[in-house]
Amino acid sequence: MISNNIKIKTQDLNVYYGEKQALFNVNLDIHSKEVTALIGPSGCGKSTFIRCINRMNDVIDICKIDGSIKIDDKEIIDNNVDVVRLRESIGMVFQKPNPFPKSIYDNISYGPSIHGLADNKSDMDKIVENSLKKAALWEEVKDRLDEPGTGLSGGQQQRLCIARAISVNPEVILMDEPCSALDPIATAKIEELIDELKKSYTIVIVTHSMSQAVRVSQRTGFFHLGKIIEVDTTEKIFKNPGNQMTQDYITGRFG
Amino acid sequence: MSEISHIVKSYEEELQNLNDNLIKMGSLVEKQLSDSMEAIIKVDKEAADNIIKNDAKINELRAIIEEQIVTVLVKRAPMAIDLRLTISTLKISSDLERIGDLAKSVAKKIKPLPHDLPEELIASLRRLGDLVQRQLKDILDAYLKKSKDLAIKIWKTDEKVDDLTHTAMNEVADFLGKDKKNLDLATHLLFVTKNIERAGDHITNIAESLFYLIEGEHIEGARPKGKDFDSNS
Ligand SMILES: Nc1ncnc2c1ncn2[C@@H]1O[C@H](COP(=O)(O)OP(=O)(O)OP(=O)(O)O)[C@@H](O)[C@H]1O
Ligand SMILES: [Mg+2]
Repeated sequence: MISNNIKIKTQDLNVYYGEKQALFNVNLDIHSKEVTALIGPSGCGKSTFIRCINRMNDVIDICKIDGSIKIDDKEIIDNNVDVVRLRESIGMVFQKPNPFPKSIYDNISYGPSIHGLADNKSDMDKIVENSLKKAALWEEVKDRLDEPGTGLSGGQQQRLCIARAISVNPEVILMDEPCSALDPIATAKIEELIDELKKSYTIVIVTHSMSQAVRVSQRTGFFHLGKIIEVDTTEKIFKNPGNQMTQDYITGRFG
Repeated sequence: MSEISHIVKSYEEELQNLNDNLIKMGSLVEKQLSDSMEAIIKVDKEAADNIIKNDAKINELRAIIEEQIVTVLVKRAPMAIDLRLTISTLKISSDLERIGDLAKSVAKKIKPLPHDLPEELIASLRRLGDLVQRQLKDILDAYLKKSKDLAIKIWKTDEKVDDLTHTAMNEVADFLGKDKKNLDLATHLLFVTKNIERAGDHITNIAESLFYLIEGEHIEGARPKGKDFDSNS
């Protein structure tokens, strides 16, 4: 049994791209309704790791996964898993905001409509409004829902993508460097949003900003060369890490 | 401690500079404290004037250190050992400054003293002063070496400082008991003794900061406590 507060549990997770192994025996617990930050030097496997959680790596032909990932105690590295349903429960936000070249409204309604979450137009209107509200974007866009999402500022686009991720009622939100293209104010808005969202969702965020990891997360995992080196409370990691390599990395001594 | 340097050389230099300034400040304070002890025992009023004047240098250095730390905090957002180093150094510089102030207060008490201190009071005062000076020297050494063991040893020795303070104060009290005309002198000497003890307390603080810097944890157990002057043990 997985204890109540663990949402995602990976055991001996190994990932290969062809001959090259990208993750080595990763054992990591992601706590429910908390923000877990993943840090580590470029190429250490952070994106590979989070892409395993929603089986996004399936689309890469040469990518092979073995080991176990359990979400709510259910194995997802299994051919019988309904990947569409899985992705419905796991939203993802990327480094570069990637709204569809469609209206703001359609950006949000797309997911709920393919998953059949709305019975009629007024249901859908409600979903769109709620999602945009949760993403703290509603006030800024409510009068121009039919304008293209690509016409928003970078920070607004990123919040649109978060709204899109929320629209299908996920349980987990994966964020891969969601603020790396944003200015400090847009970043602060996303961070404020993350604080708010963690009340309802389990969040995993990959970030290259140590100070962002400290600000937004409760737990932090440090990856190096495809291995998880240390995972602990964020406070412990940034005040007094247990591993020398972690310390050398977060203090800018290698990377 | 990390043996590896920062990738950004200027960051490494900033921390090194901070370290150097703290050591420099420490040796100034060390000199002020030993000069003030020497001056009180010899009742050297000229030396006292110099000590009072020299305190400004310590305050200046402390201001520089504080400014450097603020710069490191904004520029580098230090993490882990670097964060603990900057925060602890800030605290240590503040304790050193206070020790400097106490040395200056001792010096100020020299002016109103008669030309010779009663022989019977000098021995205890000297022993207390010597111990506190050695503690200060050791703690600066411990900081330089980032030695946890030395920090603990110094921290524990504060109990002895308290005991010597107690003895010295009792002797002054006896001295006063002998003749009420001794009141002025006794009051000054009690004040001086208390100041030396307080310098010892700041050294204990430094030991605590240093331990935190090195270990990332607070030193175990309660602060050591010797016999108090007021307690009737
Ligand atoms: N599609 C792919 N095909 C082949 N190799 C890949 C692929 N994606 C990632 N890799 C390799 O897997 C390793 C881990 O890459 P990954 O993108 O997970 O790292 P990362 O920690 O996210 O890095 P960054 O911080 O730069 O985003 C790298 O060596 C990378 O070259
Ligand atoms: Mg990546």
